[in-house]
Amino acid sequence: MTRILFFVFPPDLAAKSTTAAATRRHILVRVSAPHPTIIWDLLSRAGARRRLLALGLVAALVLLATSTSARGAASDEADACLQCHADEKATLALENGESAPLFMKRELLAASVHKNLRCTDCHAGFDRMPHPERHYKDLNHFRTSLAESCKTCHFENYTKTLDSVHYGLQARGDVFAPTCVKCHGSHDIAKPAEPRSRISQTCATCHRPISETYAKSVHGKALLADNNPDVPVCTDCHRSHNIADPKSRAWLMSTPALCGRCHADPKRMGKYGLSTNVLGTYLSDFHGTTASFGGKGKKTDNEPVVALCVDCHGIHDIAKVTGDSAPVFRANLVKTCRKCHPGASDNFPAAWLSHYEPSLQRAPLVFLVKLFYKLIIPFIVGGLILQILLHLWRTVVNR
Amino acid sequence: MTHNNDDVVRFGPRDRVEHLLVMVIFFLLALTGLPQKFHDSAISRNIVDVLGGIAQVRYLHRMTGVLFAGMTFLHLATVLGAVATGRSSLSMVPGIKDFRDAITTLRYYLRISDVRAQFDRFDYKEKFEYWGIVFGGLIMIGTGFALLYPIAVTRRLPGQIIPAAKVAHGSEGLMAFLVVILWHIYNVVFAPEIFPGSTTIFTGKISRERMRHEHPLEYARMFPEEANEILGQKDPSRE
Repeated sequence: MTRILFFVFPPDLAAKSTTAAATRRHILVRVSAPHPTIIWDLLSRAGARRRLLALGLVAALVLLATSTSARGAASDEADACLQCHADEKATLALENGESAPLFMKRELLAASVHKNLRCTDCHAGFDRMPHPERHYKDLNHFRTSLAESCKTCHFENYTKTLDSVHYGLQARGDVFAPTCVKCHGSHDIAKPAEPRSRISQTCATCHRPISETYAKSVHGKALLADNNPDVPVCTDCHRSHNIADPKSRAWLMSTPALCGRCHADPKRMGKYGLSTNVLGTYLSDFHGTTASFGGKGKKTDNEPVVALCVDCHGIHDIAKVTGDSAPVFRANLVKTCRKCHPGASDNFPAAWLSHYEPSLQRAPLVFLVKLFYKLIIPFIVGGLILQILLHLWRTVVNR
Repeated sequence: MTHNNDDVVRFGPRDRVEHLLVMVIFFLLALTGLPQKFHDSAISRNIVDVLGGIAQVRYLHRMTGVLFAGMTFLHLATVLGAVATGRSSLSMVPGIKDFRDAITTLRYYLRISDVRAQFDRFDYKEKFEYWGIVFGGLIMIGTGFALLYPIAVTRRLPGQIIPAAKVAHGSEGLMAFLVVILWHIYNVVFAPEIFPGSTTIFTGKISRERMRHEHPLEYARMFPEEANEILGQKDPSRE
């Protein structure tokens, strides 16, 4: 009974800030648990078995009391709020003449991962009756006004979003820019990656065409058809909170390492019989070397820099290299090369060894030239060093 | 050390300028080329950053390479022209004597014999270096051309030429670098009888005494009055 009274009456007791909310929870736990002296009495009077039994009983009581009190508090508060907010017609007039809905469906909360939180844990300050007066310009202003409340608990992820391309849009006043709740939901908030395909669906809310392209890619197909745990979903490449601008130079230059995170990992690639040599062979060839030096052009430019993984393999439409639709499939390769090397002849693609180390079968000329220098360099240089040493030795002997 | 009136002219202005140019070009090519070969190392990163990024480094490397190619062809053309018109001796052409000299020298180093080879205008080490830089240079020019114009080169030739040229260019360049750093620098700077370095290639002058010691056959032709004395002795001028 006392618990409810907290919220109904006393403006002096009800807190103004979230720290006060924490204190309040503390009080409730204390009130419902047995007083410590009772435990002491039980322990001193009874025998060992009884003592143990009593201890267990007390522990169970304490547990029960604390858990029910926390959950009870949340749902009791929700009860109080829903006295008004269960009304579908509850709205708030905004400055531009629009009206914001204040209606909340109770069932939404039941499925939420936050079902044990109180309304006022997120809607801080609304435990006063009447609610403090607030003014919103428009619907967007109204919706974003609560965006900051997530950081109270999720501070790390919140700060990450400040570096994101989404926050950049928001800061420039884009009303469609996603905030926490646009991706995660609000009252019906659920685990974002269960199942993993849920992530792609979330991004698809705004990025529909890209999501459809992804669904047809080798990664997307494996995810959607087989629920494959190894293929990347959107956030594995783009990150979830600190999503970078995918057109920025810094991001582009980081993509080979990004692809390499999986494609150079023997554990992951072994399952599918894929080579982990792809990153190494790329880096040691022309394009990769250029990329590893930071690419061409000025560091501040956002222009194409050099062929990166995605320039040949595609981005969201990455296909199996053995599939005849893949841009790196042998028959399509010259067309892919011509994207950057317009005059390339049919011979030209063979200048790239397709991520293979040169061997007698794959690239005999390259293999033999390599072998020749592997033998001749130690022979010549070693011979000359030997002559130097002999010369020095003879000079010493002569003295 | 040496008195001017004791000096003999060994290299003309043309040789000296050519050496100076090759020296600068070689240094620039190595500086801009080796970081591309060893792109993984931190030093390479620093060099490329200091020079203003990979695009600049490649531009510098290519321009210097074109300069080197021009110099090489000019040199070969003038030498061949001079040989054809009989204005040049064939003193740089290796012969059977050079192999014999090398063996004699090795036997001397190993103390199998105390006989020292007597060299003419160029000893076998100098000839080895000269032909090394000519043939190595031609390989570098050819493979460098393929790497600079891969599209044009693969219009007629198989694509595999390009990665093969890349391997050859990098390896040949590394070998040239090592030979110069170890062998050439030892022979003209650090060898005990030369230290702290010979200036002959820059001034063109060599002391009569060094000339007599290092190139006795040529010296004997220059000073016929001393010929008998020099050519008669087996282990000359050991103080």
